[in-house]
Amino acid sequence: MRWFWIDRFVEFESGRSATSIKNVALAEEHLHDHFPGYPVMPNSLIVEGLAQTGGMLAAEYHDFKERVILAKISKMTFHGPALPGDQLTYHAEMDDISADGAVTSVTCHIGDRLQAEGQIFFAHVADQVTGKSLFEPGQMIHMMRLLKLYEVGRKPDGSAIMPPAEMT
Amino acid sequence: MALSEENFAKIQEALVDALGVDDDEVTPEATLVGDLGAESIDFLDIVFRLEKAFGIKIDRGELWPEDILTNVKFVEDGKLNAEGLAELKTRMSFADLSKFEQNPAIQEFGNMLTVQDMANFVDGKMAQA
Amino acid sequence: MRFSLIDRIVDLQPGKTITAVKCVSLAEEYLQDHFPRFPVLPGVMMLEAMTQASAWLIRAGEDFAHSMVTLQEARNVKYSDFVAPGSMLTVTADLMKQDERYCSLKTKGTIDGRTAVSARLTVQRFNLAETQPDMACADEIVVQEMKKLYTTLRPASVAS
Repeated sequence: MRWFWIDRFVEFESGRSATSIKNVALAEEHLHDHFPGYPVMPNSLIVEGLAQTGGMLAAEYHDFKERVILAKISKMTFHGPALPGDQLTYHAEMDDISADGAVTSVTCHIGDRLQAEGQIFFAHVADQVTGKSLFEPGQMIHMMRLLKLYEVGRKPDGSAIMPPAEMT
Repeated sequence: MALSEENFAKIQEALVDALGVDDDEVTPEATLVGDLGAESIDFLDIVFRLEKAFGIKIDRGELWPEDILTNVKFVEDGKLNAEGLAELKTRMSFADLSKFEQNPAIQEFGNMLTVQDMANFVDGKMAQA
Repeated sequence: MRFSLIDRIVDLQPGKTITAVKCVSLAEEYLQDHFPRFPVLPGVMMLEAMTQASAWLIRAGEDFAHSMVTLQEARNVKYSDFVAPGSMLTVTADLMKQDERYCSLKTKGTIDGRTAVSARLTVQRFNLAETQPDMACADEIVVQEMKKLYTTLRPASVAS
């Protein structure tokens, strides 16, 4: 199992909001344990997709200079299952962002149906705790490219988001 | 200056939502860390909810002065020294620090801040705004 | 990878509480992405471990009456420490209240007695056949498989 819980960004407005998609596929191994005989996407992995969407929104705002980690989920409610063949649309709104961290309100939709909603807090973690970087040089930016961040990403003034110069 | 009932109810709601405690646990004397179980990350949550409820701007360091409590200049043998206490009093002028002053052990700090201190803090911020 | 976020059930008192463990191994594939330079158990995997522990408490307590036991709501999920490879996370869940469908639990994960994560969870339990009668066969398969997995997680020697 690799740790990618969103497949692509479809909208990304720096510091404001982001929308991504995740396709649920029968080929995903873990679905055959959850549950054997009836595959259903684990809700915890939906939380991860929402956290990756909001977390990257928080990280991009500081040009990926801060290490952003999941700190608290104040509430997350699920309204129904996500099944193989479903396309999940994750949306994160930035409620607040500061030097300490960020707060995002998140939703998951399957078509028009609201499947999950909640609020996620991210914290910036110090160098001494994790080391200067969580990723190898260039890895983070490469991942953002694969997720189409630089294709859809826009700053509030409408200009395109560019990868930070020192990281390309 | 007495905090209005309406404002206290808003503070109660913010603490109930942030800490997952019941309404009746949020009394004026209840300590945020000792009685209500607040941790460092909860202060980010509390700050966000108070900012939204009252339209004020708060720095997390005003309620959770981690930088003072972990600064080697201010801490000796696990306690805040005179310089540290003075710094703390300036930062947290809204709080009743008298009990903490008697034994300013860093680990005791958590047991100090009460809901009433929080209410005084909000009061002060609203008056400045 | 097998999606069992619990490696062993250490104690279970039906209707009351469960204690289980999750060992974190560098061999877990997803750690290479989370994170390449700082491998740690993802927060949502801790949430899944607490959810699964809660689910086993419920399943065993009702003799596997329902096939579907899933997370309906998570509140106040707080992360206080990283869980690195080589660690053993002890997960506990206490059942606070329940009705025919929903169970409320207080859960936490500790390492050597220190809390790494805590949460209040609402878990729901149901059978597919309740709304889709022709899925009764799927309910049966899931229940059979869950019973088998339970005997792996809770060997007879420690069952009370």
